Amino acid sequence: MTMATVPLLDNITLFLDNKPSVYGLRQKAKQALEKTNYPTLKTEAWKYTNIKPILSSNFKINTEEHQCSCGCNCCHHDNSSQIEISFCNGKLHVEEYNLPQGLNITPLPEILYEGEYKQYLFNSFNLEEHPFAALNGAYLEQGICIYVEKNTNITQPIYIKYKQNDCNGYQINIHNLIVLEKNARLEIFEQFSSDKKNKYLANIVNEIYLKPNSQLYHYKKQSESINSYHIALNCAKIQNKASYKQYYLANGAKICRQETNVQLEQANASAEIYSAYKAKKECLNDITTNINHLQPETYSNQYAKAVLESDSSAVFQGKIHIAPLAVKTEGHQLHKALYLSDNAELNCKPELEIFADDVKCSHGASCGEIDKEQLFYLTSRGIDKAEALKLLTDAHLNEILSLIPNEKIQAEMHF
Amino acid sequence: MTTPLLEIKDLQARVEDKEIIKGLNLTINAGEVHAIMGPNGAGKSSLSYVLSGKEGYKVTSGSVKFKGQDLLSMSTEERARNGLFLSMQYPTEIPGVVVSNFLKQSLNAIRKHRGEKELDTLAFMKHLKQEAAQLNISPEMLKRFVNVGFSGGEKKRFETLQMALLKPDFCILDEIDSGLDIDALKTVSDGVNALRTKENAFLVITHYQRLLDHIKPDIVHIFADGHIIKSGDKSLATELEQSGYTDFLKEE
Repeated sequence: MTMATVPLLDNITLFLDNKPSVYGLRQKAKQALEKTNYPTLKTEAWKYTNIKPILSSNFKINTEEHQCSCGCNCCHHDNSSQIEISFCNGKLHVEEYNLPQGLNITPLPEILYEGEYKQYLFNSFNLEEHPFAALNGAYLEQGICIYVEKNTNITQPIYIKYKQNDCNGYQINIHNLIVLEKNARLEIFEQFSSDKKNKYLANIVNEIYLKPNSQLYHYKKQSESINSYHIALNCAKIQNKASYKQYYLANGAKICRQETNVQLEQANASAEIYSAYKAKKECLNDITTNINHLQPETYSNQYAKAVLESDSSAVFQGKIHIAPLAVKTEGHQLHKALYLSDNAELNCKPELEIFADDVKCSHGASCGEIDKEQLFYLTSRGIDKAEALKLLTDAHLNEILSLIPNEKIQAEMHF
Repeated sequence: MTTPLLEIKDLQARVEDKEIIKGLNLTINAGEVHAIMGPNGAGKSSLSYVLSGKEGYKVTSGSVKFKGQDLLSMSTEERARNGLFLSMQYPTEIPGVVVSNFLKQSLNAIRKHRGEKELDTLAFMKHLKQEAAQLNISPEMLKRFVNVGFSGGEKKRFETLQMALLKPDFCILDEIDSGLDIDALKTVSDGVNALRTKENAFLVITHYQRLLDHIKPDIVHIFADGHIIKSGDKSLATELEQSGYTDFLKEE
């Protein structure tokens, strides 16, 4: 009997070596994907996001060696004083980092053989529930592990730049681990960019482990080609009094899905997710969250603002699950959209599952159009109509971006 | 004969199905200040919107020439770039858009149209702070969102600041005195008077003669039911103030 073919998984030809540990992980992921295959519009978590265009694109794995030790343009450091990790067309640009005490950055292949890190791989999500993460796992090779020792406050943000300038027709699978020990604090800033015409799939998984009292600020800016596809999964397991704050800006890709799954697995753990995005003409933007409140006095807040251009569509599906033990918990979610056209579609699906008493939960969604009085005021001062529209849509989205506590990063997080 | 700055001929306009301007004739030359007075609902503000090209205000007949060009065929932003400015009765609040950024875009759009060099942030801010100081506008206010949380006086001073920056040829001041105390009225009027030249002109829309003591008009028009019913010199405003609109209109 032959297995039915699974799209994007046709040619697992790429293996690091014959070490059984790596091979085992990949096999596990590959088998999970072969078992479940990809979601369809009948799959609840994907009912508004049609991925057929991705599956039919037959994106290949780039098996060529990375040639970037030469200081070529794509690896050029924008600022030598900051800690910067680059992935060029999906391949890690390996270099020596000059790191502060208590911060370790290790390329993923190296850690795969080390028992202490292996416990974190594929441990924050179920492969059978996340087909794209399973695809990512089947090709496990590229990625980085960021490890912060206990009682360490890393004051410099770590930039992770994903530059897809020359990867037409390829799929890029990158898998990162971020581990913060007790009382550690870290800021990371993921930036995705690409040349205009490139068509590819960026498939990114971040597994995040926050030990008691640690704090992670996670910034992400996605401004890729509107021919590209972007599927990202962030999974965070958050312990006692630890906090996870995500600030996300999306402004590109034909189909972009950002899924964030959070386990608030000990008391007083918290997660905040702030998103600002533009759904461009004929593009789809999907924000999906699953927040699991497992223990008492946990806190979550999600706030997203969107601008929908003509013929665009957007999805906001947020699940808040409150387990029976999780009393005195708070979970909030809010989505505000601005339509630039009548031909735009927004699917908002809040899911609140509350199994405990004495909790505070809220959800809300609003949508509106550009205020004609504001548009008139701006144009009556000589400002071009298109410029005026941009001022007004940016103003709508800036409410989210102004929440970013790091001023330097706030200045870089613009549309 | 020189071309008038603004020449309105038999203008008729409507909003939705309602006729609001009913056969208006008005000629304004460079260097002149005209005042339009009239009761509530006469169509004074509508006239200012028709002239600035606001969406929903439809001209059904007549013509408007501005510096010899057909004003009505221009978009709102083209009218502004060609030198028309409307100081609004209720300036719109725009949360999220910072005053200085808005003014920079506005000024540069107009400079570009005039074939002048656009100002960079540094040069612009220097220029802006000088002009703002003249009108008692604090640097703090320039960092706020456009008109958000401004007092009545601040809103009108901000409108005046825009005129000072953009140097339009023709300004419509729609009830620039509304919501102002005596001191603010003086600041705003002084600001406007300082902008008067032989090349530009003003159309002052107001209910009260008080404003015209500060901004002295050359000609006063009484506006009722969508057109001008009487024109005269400044004494017309005084006469009107004494009799009130109802009696004045009855006499006509």
